[in-house]
Amino acid sequence: MKEHSKPTFESYNRDPKLYDEIFDENDNVRNIYATLFDLYSEHSAKDFARLNDKAKASFFNQGITFQVYGDHEVKEKIFPFDLFPRIIDPQEWQVIENGVLQRSKALNHFLWDVYHEKNIIKEGIVPLELISSSANYLDQMNGFDPPGGIYNHISGTDLIKHSDGQYYVLEDNIRCPSGVSYVICNRTALKRALFGVFNHYKTHTVTNYAENLLEILETVKPKGVDIPNCVVITPGIYNSAYYEHSYLAKAMGVELVEGRDLFVENDFVYMKTITGPEKVDVIYRRIDDQFLDPLEFKPDSALGVPGLMAAYKQGNVCLVNAPGTGVADDKAIYTYMPEIIKYYLDEEPILNNVPTYHCSRPDELKYVLENISELVIKPVDEAGGYGISIGNRLTKEEIEEVKETVKASPRKYIAQPIMSLSVHPTYIEENESFEPRHVDLRTFTLLGDQKEFVLKGGLTRVALRKGNLIVNSSQGGGSKDTWVLKNNQ
Amino acid sequence: MDLDYHIRYSATNTYENQAAGALWQFLIIPESNDSQELISDSFTNSLKIKTEKSINGYNFKTYRIRPTESFEAVEFNADFHLIKKAENIFEKVANATGEEYNHLRSIGFRAENDIFLRNTLLTTLPQEVEFKFDESISIFENLQKLNAWIYEEFTFKTDVTDIDTDLNHILEIKQGVCQDFAHLFIAIAKNFGIPSRYVSGYLHQGNGYFGDSQMHAWVECNIPGAGWIGFDPTNNLLAVENHIKVAHGKDYSDCPPLKGVVYSSGKNETEYTVQVLAHQQQQ
Repeated sequence: MKEHSKPTFESYNRDPKLYDEIFDENDNVRNIYATLFDLYSEHSAKDFARLNDKAKASFFNQGITFQVYGDHEVKEKIFPFDLFPRIIDPQEWQVIENGVLQRSKALNHFLWDVYHEKNIIKEGIVPLELISSSANYLDQMNGFDPPGGIYNHISGTDLIKHSDGQYYVLEDNIRCPSGVSYVICNRTALKRALFGVFNHYKTHTVTNYAENLLEILETVKPKGVDIPNCVVITPGIYNSAYYEHSYLAKAMGVELVEGRDLFVENDFVYMKTITGPEKVDVIYRRIDDQFLDPLEFKPDSALGVPGLMAAYKQGNVCLVNAPGTGVADDKAIYTYMPEIIKYYLDEEPILNNVPTYHCSRPDELKYVLENISELVIKPVDEAGGYGISIGNRLTKEEIEEVKETVKASPRKYIAQPIMSLSVHPTYIEENESFEPRHVDLRTFTLLGDQKEFVLKGGLTRVALRKGNLIVNSSQGGGSKDTWVLKNNQ
Repeated sequence: MDLDYHIRYSATNTYENQAAGALWQFLIIPESNDSQELISDSFTNSLKIKTEKSINGYNFKTYRIRPTESFEAVEFNADFHLIKKAENIFEKVANATGEEYNHLRSIGFRAENDIFLRNTLLTTLPQEVEFKFDESISIFENLQKLNAWIYEEFTFKTDVTDIDTDLNHILEIKQGVCQDFAHLFIAIAKNFGIPSRYVSGYLHQGNGYFGDSQMHAWVECNIPGAGWIGFDPTNNLLAVENHIKVAHGKDYSDCPPLKGVVYSSGKNETEYTVQVLAHQQQQ
């Protein structure tokens, strides 16, 4: 505690076992953060309390809220925002950008393969069981060519920085990854609260996401369409990501619709408008596969559009992301990512994978059961941080319980070493000071026909509770503005 | 000798309360394939709404009707004219090689046929059955034995099962209808590793076969070297000239003849009948 014993950093205790994003191992402020640190140190604790309120009000006034699914009730919350931005230097970012793009492309090849020739399975690289036991494999997609050959138009890749200072990918989300609207709102909120800090850094914009998304959607328009009519379909106002759906539609300048606003006639999709039906060509759907079309999937779903799948399979409308992508964002598939990248792209993986044990393999299951206290146990098919057990946080009884659960259905679980997420100074209201909290990073990658885009920025999620490792918003996480710096600082 | 078929499908839907709109999809059109050729088809409804043609998720042709006005009852009539070609299955299976069991277990074959090897809710074998495969005879011969075994052990009886009845119950009561026997056949064959699929279609009952005057169900199995061969365990027949295929899927839930979304409260009922008339084609 020498350099940084300024008012708001007084109680900042660097944990030498963790990678601290702003302080190096000698407690010196890392170069990239030096200016920001000086700027922030000029403010008193009181200033931050005031700025914190201002930022909160900014979110509240924009109506940026989300919902948490509890055991009994659904709660509406403001997404907690932190005033201290995360900064990523240009060289480091280039590696991330190349790495996430590589993964998205490899996953797209993989999806094409498992819905066509299945060569990666026939050659024994990925076991058939992972596909045949996956609830997310859609038989209806077998043999179908999606427009432009693209399945995962939008990917959200989650990364962490481990104590070794290296980035690791935690998962690839290629169903309906959310969070990008918060990236943009965080930038807005930080600019409102602390505009001056942006004068000292050359930061890439994040507000170009929507225009790039629209361009990507337009690249996968059906054949014979000149200027495609794109829409965003949402499950409705009760969905936890409704704000994002409405934000993206507004920012792209396209309609936000619900299932009941669309209908299918002669295998074409139309939107009901006050001036009559209007043909729809590309649908950015934020509805899960099983709810898309009651004629084909869950028959009682009122969220989707009856006949939509047939319109899609006849090539008259494009669905983004393609139905059936879930088979590749299974956590068990994740563990084969290094092999998948090598197989399709003939490249070495740019980003690290966390080493993973498959409970479906008897020898690995044995290791997992014996070393459970040093591992994280994850269900392969749950999203949002639900159902995760962290070995060293469990009581003896809980360990036994987890063991039984895993033994009962080993295929459902994987285990990974406990990764120590890097920490970042985070303003803690109760203590009126900055304290280290764990962070991760969600990046957003777009793939279209002959076009690709990685958002230069991302969602840095922060676990607000001390020591907590799970950063998902549904588990009480907040987020930070994330700056990717331009080359010429 | 080729057979000339005329098939009529009629259905009536009635609704307890007036329905404000609907979308019905009928999976009843015979497919054209190597052994059958659809010559003509027509479809009418009492609401006088134009018929759309579409496909289901597995690319089988469907009719769609989308009324936007309210209604309480609706009648549908479909007519098909079809030629069924004479086919010699025994010639096909003669191609089966001695390597067929190895082929069945190869990763290439299993990957290609994965969809029809997976268990579904309706085709999971809940317990061991008495029927055993014998690798000293061909796969085809085994499946013929399985066909006969189901026919002999189980009794055709309507109204003891419904579309959701699981195999546990069928094995217990040893009764059921064509759907149940098809599901049981599929479960046993898949359990041994033979890709098997549920077939929905029409049966020519001129010879007194079981199948009621309704849509019929049987099974197709992919035998290495021979391809997909049809077995009808309800009648202990090979599905040849008396079986007119409409669609296939993993089980019944992939190919019900009628699916619909109806904007109405209260109960509804569907009644339908099928008539199949055949005569030999004069060459």
